[in-house]
Amino acid sequence: MCPTSLGRVQTRWAIIIIPAIIAAVVSLITHNAGWIVLIGIYFVLGVLLDTLFYRFVIRWQPPWLTFALTVGEFVLVYILAHWLKVGLTNVEAIVEFWAAWIIAIWTKVAILPLLSLSWIENAGEFRQTGWAVAPQYVPLAVTVFQQTDPSGAPRLVREFSSVGTLPKELRDLPSPSAVRINPFKN
Amino acid sequence: MTAPYPRDSVLAVVGEGFGSTLVHTTARYLGFTNREITIYGPNASPINTYQQFAHNLGQTVLRSESESHFLAPDWPTFAQIDAWSRKSPGPLWRTTRRKYNPGVPEILTEAQIVMQKLGWEECRVPLRVGWIQREMEPMPHFVLYDEQANFIGRSKHVMLAPGHGPLSWPPMLAQARKDPKLAERIVQAYQAKQYAPGGRYIVLGAGIASVNEWANILDIGASVLALTRNPQPETQDLNVPRCLFESLGIDAYVSLPWEQRVRFLGEVLKGSRPERRSWLQKIEQGEREGRFAAAVGEIGAVEAGPAGLHVFVQGKGEEIGWLDVTGITAGTGFNKSVLTIPLLRRLVDYYKVPVVDGRLKLQTNCGLPGLDRPDSRLCCMGLIANSIIPHGDTIAGLKFISRRFVSDVARAENLRIRSFPSRLNMQVTIGHDVAKALRTIPTTPQLA
Repeated sequence: MCPTSLGRVQTRWAIIIIPAIIAAVVSLITHNAGWIVLIGIYFVLGVLLDTLFYRFVIRWQPPWLTFALTVGEFVLVYILAHWLKVGLTNVEAIVEFWAAWIIAIWTKVAILPLLSLSWIENAGEFRQTGWAVAPQYVPLAVTVFQQTDPSGAPRLVREFSSVGTLPKELRDLPSPSAVRINPFKN
Repeated sequence: MTAPYPRDSVLAVVGEGFGSTLVHTTARYLGFTNREITIYGPNASPINTYQQFAHNLGQTVLRSESESHFLAPDWPTFAQIDAWSRKSPGPLWRTTRRKYNPGVPEILTEAQIVMQKLGWEECRVPLRVGWIQREMEPMPHFVLYDEQANFIGRSKHVMLAPGHGPLSWPPMLAQARKDPKLAERIVQAYQAKQYAPGGRYIVLGAGIASVNEWANILDIGASVLALTRNPQPETQDLNVPRCLFESLGIDAYVSLPWEQRVRFLGEVLKGSRPERRSWLQKIEQGEREGRFAAAVGEIGAVEAGPAGLHVFVQGKGEEIGWLDVTGITAGTGFNKSVLTIPLLRRLVDYYKVPVVDGRLKLQTNCGLPGLDRPDSRLCCMGLIANSIIPHGDTIAGLKFISRRFVSDVARAENLRIRSFPSRLNMQVTIGHDVAKALRTIPTTPQLA
């Protein structure tokens, strides 16, 4: 995958939703905002890395690198959580981080490709499955069809049609050929 | 049981190869029914042509990676199915390092399962399309005729997936093959062939097909001279740089002027090959045993000789001269000109579709200029579309085009998209069936 900054941010946002909802519920139940704050720190830090760092150092991201980046993010989140005193024990913070990551990576690997056929091809961006550059349609170079008259065939064609009865006055008209006409006969 | 004809459909695929399977799978995934899809082609299986070529080449694994398979979305990947099937983390470990290449028997098994589960055959009209007529009334659509000009169906949207042109021969070999005695000793890598132990062979080219042949010749105990017109290319895992597989690269590529695109294609597709551990070992061993050598030059003359062929090789920088060899194998692939495909030639002639140097000058949505409209698409896929999608003739490229074409059709027809639970169920069911089938076939060794 060759993600863009926009793709990274959109993807990060999409995969963090479920962990954030779960953390919010846990915070409400335990009356401890630390659970949701930790997810918030993870998200904000991730967006900063996506927009200010990863875009300059990573062009093509193989799957193993995704895991390596997560380990780096874990260390940074751990330090920030201590500095900001989020109100969780070390064990709680570690368990929450990795549980959130497992849910996020499953969303990324299994759910997003099913939701959007072209999410991976579109560098992690949620775009319509379409062509990158809008086509310029051109008219057909040859006329292969004629404009049809909504009333059907032209009137004269209908008049000439052998479907109807031939008028009597047309039956004995002379041939248009002049081959048999004697020019010397007046 | 094939489809009755003449048949009216919403979307039709002209050609019954891999492209047809991917368009069909994607269409079914998004919510089209089999009644709305028609596939035109005489082969009873979409894998026949590929299987024959792979067998002739002795190819055992795909060059593509784990996403290149026959399910519409990118989950599950083939490595995930393989790992599930064999209850082994090996494929997953390889795929994290991008060193997993699906085996040919495995991928063809998957194609068969997908085809059977989704009813590919029910949609197939067993005739080759010979002519496509644009009609505007009562709504824009296409009328299709077979090669005897019999009416065989109508469709609102058509995908042209005719595959490759005929095999390509260097002019000197094409000339030599007119003599039946010489012809049987000059073969194409993609043709059926057999090598004799102790024989001496020249293999032209250094792309993946040629390297396969080097390995095949060395395996049988014969000797091989690898002859290329230019110094050999760098090894490269995929046909084109990785990011070119994705929209970001394709955006940049399509934004280039036509001439630059063609020049770029010429550079990236000049016969690159992936690095395979087992090939390298064989070639190094062959070199040590004096059974493998590489040279830069061109064949200047071919005659009948005591070993079979008497060949003059014009070396570049070094004199090579006349050689006595058992045979020549050309790894020169297929003729890439669209004019070698009869239906396309007729369309180009009649509808004045622009062609430059044998390539269709397609719209940026792979549409055929003049005939393609948003409400009635006429789109191309495969090698004929690589001026827009550089890897158009790979499974990944066919998938890229299929997804966009079918999505265009879905939008034009206001299709009610299949629900998420139904899509998930479809993937899980087919993935499970593929995994079950993979258990019955031996694991193909990975080469990377």
